[in-house]
Amino acid sequence: MLSEVLLVSAPGKVILHGEHAVVHGKVALAVALNLRTFLRLQPHSNGKVDLSLPNIGIKWAWDVARLQLLDTSFLEQGDATTPTPELVEKLKEVAGLPDDCAVTESLAVLAFLYLYLSICRKQRCVCSLGRERVTFCTLVCFRALPSLDIVVWSELPHGAGLGSSAAYSVCLAAALLTVCEEIPNPLKDGDRVNRWTKEDLELINKWAFQGERVIHGNPSGVDNAVSTWGGALRYQQGKISSLKRPPALQILLTNTKVPRNTRTLVAGVRNRLLKFPEIVAPLLTSIDAISLECERVLGEMGEAPAPEQYLVLEELIDMNQHHLNALGVGHASLDQLCQVTRAHGLHSKLTGAGGGGCGITLLKPGLEQPEVEATKQALTSCGFDCWETSIGAPGVSIHSATSLDSRVQQALDGL
Amino acid sequence: ESGSCSGSGAEWRQPGRGRRRRRRRQVALAVALNLRTFLRLQPHSNGKVDLSLPNIGIKWAWDVARLQLLDTSFLEQGDATTPTPELVEKLKEVAGLPDDCAVTESLAVLAFLYLYLSICRKQRALPSLDIVVWSELPHGAGLGSSAAYSVCLAAALLTVCEEIPNPLKDGDRVNRWTKEDLELINKWAFQGERVIHGNPSGVDNAVSTWGGALRYQQGKISSLKRPPALQILLTNTKVPRNTRTLVAGVRNRLLKFPEIVAPLLTSIDAISLECERVLGEMGEAPAPEQYLVLEELIDMNQHHLNALGVGHASLDQLCQVTRAHGLHSKLTGAGGGGCGITLLKPGLEQPEVEATKQALTSCGFDCWETSIGAPGVSIHSATSLDSRVQQALDGL
Repeated sequence: MLSEVLLVSAPGKVILHGEHAVVHGKVALAVALNLRTFLRLQPHSNGKVDLSLPNIGIKWAWDVARLQLLDTSFLEQGDATTPTPELVEKLKEVAGLPDDCAVTESLAVLAFLYLYLSICRKQRCVCSLGRERVTFCTLVCFRALPSLDIVVWSELPHGAGLGSSAAYSVCLAAALLTVCEEIPNPLKDGDRVNRWTKEDLELINKWAFQGERVIHGNPSGVDNAVSTWGGALRYQQGKISSLKRPPALQILLTNTKVPRNTRTLVAGVRNRLLKFPEIVAPLLTSIDAISLECERVLGEMGEAPAPEQYLVLEELIDMNQHHLNALGVGHASLDQLCQVTRAHGLHSKLTGAGGGGCGITLLKPGLEQPEVEATKQALTSCGFDCWETSIGAPGVSIHSATSLDSRVQQALDGL
Repeated sequence: ESGSCSGSGAEWRQPGRGRRRRRRRQVALAVALNLRTFLRLQPHSNGKVDLSLPNIGIKWAWDVARLQLLDTSFLEQGDATTPTPELVEKLKEVAGLPDDCAVTESLAVLAFLYLYLSICRKQRALPSLDIVVWSELPHGAGLGSSAAYSVCLAAALLTVCEEIPNPLKDGDRVNRWTKEDLELINKWAFQGERVIHGNPSGVDNAVSTWGGALRYQQGKISSLKRPPALQILLTNTKVPRNTRTLVAGVRNRLLKFPEIVAPLLTSIDAISLECERVLGEMGEAPAPEQYLVLEELIDMNQHHLNALGVGHASLDQLCQVTRAHGLHSKLTGAGGGGCGITLLKPGLEQPEVEATKQALTSCGFDCWETSIGAPGVSIHSATSLDSRVQQALDGL
C-alpha cells in the first residue's frame, strides 16, 4: 500500500464525427477533450474511507472496519466482475444510501464502492500461509481495506454527453489500482506529469469500464477508452482502435444547456430511416465517408499541419452539421451556435445526441485572440457556457502536487 | 382581335438539377409557378410593329415595310431554325440596337424579332402588331421569366398568324390550346429561349407551356399526371448570385470529396422521387399526412443543399423566419441567395400567413403568396383579367 498522495486526471470526450450514424454501423471518431476530471487520493490511518465530490456536493464516509466485515463474495468472479443489477442492489445495501438519494449521487457512490471493494481486496495476502486466494485467507488473516481520503473534482459539466462519468471511473480505477500497487506509480522524482504503460492502461480501462457499467448499465466502452488512452479513437460496430499521433486541435466547447432525451433522438433517426430508407441510408453513408475522410486528414497532419488541412476539417464539420440537421437531430439553439460562430468566420457542429446539448467549434491556428474572445462573448450572450480548450488531449495521467493549477488545487481543497 | 395570353413561371422543386449534375439517374421536379407573364397582342393596320415591355421600360418600334425587305433567308431552315450565334448577330443588325443597349433589353428584343420574323414570314405580308408584355415575375431570379416571355410570344404569334387556332370560345373566360398546338408553342418558345440563353435545358419553357409539374431526367421531360396545386410563399431574398460559380462549386466539392458527395446526390434524388410519388398520390383530397411528408422532404433537401455549399445567410434567415411560424422552406434554383419557397399546407390561419409574410418583408425580402402546379400557357378574355393586370398592360 502506498502512503503518498496521488493526483490523477482524466479527460472527457466529444464525438468529432459519426454520432447517430454509428448506431447504424458507421464509423465514429471520438476524441479526448481537455476538460478534465481530477482526483486526489490521500492514504490515511484513521480507519475511514472518505469520498468527496464537490461538483455535486457529495461527502460520504464509511468505516473501514464495517466495510471489511461485509460479505463481498458477490464481487468474487475473476479479474473484473460484470456488475449485474443484483450486484448493484447489494452494493446499495452496503452503501447505506437513503431512499431519497439523487440518482446521480447514488450512482457515483456505488461506482466508487464497487471499484474500491473489488480492486482493494486483491491486495496480496501477507499471512504466513502465503496463499493468494483471498477467500481462504480472509478467514485467517484480515487484509485491511485501505483508509483513504478521495476528492474528485471535474471541469466537465455532468450529463452533457461529455464523458464525465467515464472520466470519474477512469480516475478512480487508476488511483485505486496504483494505491493498491496493482500497477506501479509512473511518476518519477522531478516529473510534473506522467502516464502509465500500455499494459497498465489496459487494466485501468478494464476496471473503468466496470465502473461505467455500474453507472450506465450497458455503455459502449468508448467513453472510458477515450478517457484512458487520450488522443482520438475510431469506433465502429463495437470495435475500438486508436488513431496514431492525432494532432491536438484547439476548439471552443459550447454547452447550450438545452436538455434533451438521447433515447428519443436516437429513436427519431431510426424512424426517419424506416420511413424514408432511400433518402436516409445514403445520408448515413455520406456521414460515414466524412468520418473516414477526417480520420485520413488527422492521420496526415502530423507535426506540421498545413492550412489546407484545417480548411478540409472545417468543410467536414459544416457538411456533417447539415447532415445531422437532415437526420432531424438539430435544434434552434444549435443553429444559433453555428450562426454566431459563422459570423466570426468559424465552423461548428453539434456533438453527441443533438437536440440541444453541446457543440464544438474548430479554432484553426493563426486566429487573432480578440476574435476568439469576441466569439466566446457572443456565445455566452446567448446564454450558453463556453470553454476554450483542445481535443486529442492526453489520457489518464498522474501529476506531481506542485504541477497542478492553483485553481484545481483549490477545487480539490473544497474551496 | 386582341388576345391576352399568360405563361406561368417555371420553378425547380428540386433545384440544381439538370444543368448542375449530369449524372445518369438524377431526377428533378419542376413546377409551374402561378406568378404569370401576360401578353396583349393588338393587330393593326398602321404599318408598324410595336413591342412594349413595361417591366424593363422597353418600347421598340419597327416599320413593317422595312422588315419585309430584309433578307431573312438566314431563317430559312425548316420548321424551327436553331438560332446560332451568327443568326443572333444578324438579328442584332436587323434590330438596329444601339451598342450601349443593356443585355437584358437586347436579348428580349432579339428573341421577339426572331420569333416574329420566323413565325410570321409564312404570311404573305408581315403583320402590323402592337404587343405589350408585362410580368409578375422578378427577372433574373431563376423563376423562368424569360421562358414565360418566349412562351407568350410563341403562343400569341402562332395564333395571330393562324398557325394554330384560337381556343377561346364565346363566353369563355380562359382556355388552353390542344396538346398538339402546345407542342408547337413549346418548340418555338424553346427557340426563343435559345436566342436569350444560348444553351438552355428546355425545362423552363416546357413548364411554362404545359403547367402543372414536370419530371426532368437525362434530358427527358415528362409531365406528372394531375399534380395537386400547392399553396406557397415565394420569397426573393434579392441577394445576387452567380449561378455558374455555384454550379462549379458543387462540381468541385464532388471532385474533392467523391465518397461524401456522391451519396448525398443519391439522397437528393431519392427526395425527388419520394416527392413525385406523394404528389401522384395526393389527387383530389390530399391527406394531412401527405403535407407533413412534403414538409419533411423540404427540410431534408434544404439541409442537403447547404451541405453541397449552395446555402447563404439570407436563405438561413428565410428558413428561420418561416420556421418560427411553423412553416417549412427551402431555397429554389441556384441558391447562394435568390429565391425560396415555403409550403402553406391547408388549414393555416390567414393571420399567421400574413404575419409570416410581414416578417419576411421586414428582412428586406420580396414575398408573394401564390401557388405551384399552376396552369400552363392560357388565353384569356379581355374582361376576365384582373384590373391590376389590365392597368399594367396599359402601361399604368
